[in-house]
Amino acid sequence: MDNKLPITRLSKFISQDDFDINIQMGQEYLHGDINFKLVLYRVDRQKTTVDDVYAEVGMDEIKYFPPMEFNALVKIEEPKNSTYKNGLLRYNEPGNMILSVYIKHLSELGVDIRYGDYVGYPESETRTRYYTVTNDGKVTSDNKHSMWGYKPHYRTITCAPVQDKSFRGV
Amino acid sequence: MPLPKRKTNLSVYKGQELTKRRQELLDKITKSDTFLPDSILHDDLDRGMLDYVNETFVVESEGRRIPVIDKILTIQRWGEFANNWEFSDKDGNMELPFIAIIRRPEVQLGTNPSVQRTIPDRHQIYYASVPTWDGAALGADIYTIPQPIPVDISYDVIIICNKFRDINKFNRKVLQNFASRQDYTTIKGHYIPIILDKVEDNTPMDTLEGRRFYMQNYSFTMLGYLIDSDEFEVKPAINRLFTMFEFVVDTNLKSKKIFNKDNVVQKSTSVADGLQKIFSVGESIGVLFDVLVNGVVQTKNVDYLHVAYTSKIEFIQTSGQPIFPNEGDTVTILYYKGKSNKIAGDNGKILQFTRDEFNYTGDEPVGLDNNPIYTTSYEFTEIITVEINGLSEQENIGYEIYDVTTNDIVVKSIKLLGLPAINSKISIGYLY
Repeated sequence: MDNKLPITRLSKFISQDDFDINIQMGQEYLHGDINFKLVLYRVDRQKTTVDDVYAEVGMDEIKYFPPMEFNALVKIEEPKNSTYKNGLLRYNEPGNMILSVYIKHLSELGVDIRYGDYVGYPESETRTRYYTVTNDGKVTSDNKHSMWGYKPHYRTITCAPVQDKSFRGV
Repeated sequence: MPLPKRKTNLSVYKGQELTKRRQELLDKITKSDTFLPDSILHDDLDRGMLDYVNETFVVESEGRRIPVIDKILTIQRWGEFANNWEFSDKDGNMELPFIAIIRRPEVQLGTNPSVQRTIPDRHQIYYASVPTWDGAALGADIYTIPQPIPVDISYDVIIICNKFRDINKFNRKVLQNFASRQDYTTIKGHYIPIILDKVEDNTPMDTLEGRRFYMQNYSFTMLGYLIDSDEFEVKPAINRLFTMFEFVVDTNLKSKKIFNKDNVVQKSTSVADGLQKIFSVGESIGVLFDVLVNGVVQTKNVDYLHVAYTSKIEFIQTSGQPIFPNEGDTVTILYYKGKSNKIAGDNGKILQFTRDEFNYTGDEPVGLDNNPIYTTSYEFTEIITVEINGLSEQENIGYEIYDVTTNDIVVKSIKLLGLPAINSKISIGYLY
């Protein structure tokens, strides 16, 4: 077990109580006021059988832990108009989804979001779009992710859209 | 020591192997209703490439075949979408995996050595002789076509997928077919080689925060050629201008042909039946001396027509009048047989035909019987006709050949066997 080290920096300006109350107010806004809900599909890496050589899995062969609902601040980028080959074979896929999640929220849920996990975001009542985590944002050492340099308090998770066939939320 | 085991149940033909080949042969035999080759143009070559990829590169992924977009994609956006919709997801994007064929728009002059610049100037060359039958005559047509134009068409066959094993399978399939660098396809009965140029990977490996997929590009060159059916030419090999059938009606009217002994002047005599206006001597007329109807000399281009070196005489008809000659008239044709107007005598001497005209005055030299004697301008070899006022006289009836001796020189002359009226026109046609 790692040793615990008390954080005493910025003690004249912010304390653990100040830190906690800021997170509490933020969560009230995020979870209570705007209430963006998503579904996390964590890949069970133990039960999923992978290819011996390429470590690939077939369609519908990925095993998941039970889906879990969580709250996050959602930002979805503009869709990209692209082609596979010299202007032909066009495709237009949604932009990446960038989530901001309180670390405390994930701790309360007892889950971790990892690279390759899937996230479902209900765009409308009838359409849920699925994304895969391309950057789980575990490294939170920068100033942006720490409250004025006191302690990290949220993670930025980047997700790329997946085609319907490759993940169907089942 | 046991006997070596031998497999005795080898099946040479397992099932349906030969059915495809038999169907191919049947299609080749019955593919068209012409002896000419089928036209091949750009779209045929493109269709052939699509069919080749569809039939050859069959790869399965996740228990189903990787679909091939069965069209050449162009810049028309709606066209591309219309051809992809069956592979699309809810966003209208093509679901992976799939295979697409892209043709580079430019078509280069071909490098296939078998059809490369061997005949200049698009010259029409012989292709086939085809017998024809029009219901009456057997003939033949000559089919000519210009040399096909060789073309090189470049295609990119792209596989886009999510699994490494899929690109392995596709690569194996391609390399198995192109182990000898080239493969062949059949387009409208023509064998067209396809060459594998290169394999390149265009996978966006550096796309970390985006959708990831494999994309591999196989470049092929089709060594095709263009055959345009609009350039084919069909010409008759045997051109018969005129075919005539003669039907002999069983009447009492007979025609006969009299040959002179010297074989120079031929005389054909026919009796008209009142229906016939064309008379044939049955051989080429080299020199036409005279045409007579009942002994009356007919005038060429007035009474009758004759094309040089043909065998026929056609009488000119007057509209509304009965056919001339009338039934029972005797038509006599005097001619020299041959396909040239040069008349050769028995001794090989070239003879000429001429006609001397006299006007009977009563002052001519006479013979012992007081009948007039005419000496021709040239010493004749053969008398063709002797006519008095257009009426032909027969030898020994109307005239005779008479020897006139002057100063011990004998000159052959014509003596009439009667006295014509004063101012009668005496015409003597002869060879000399």
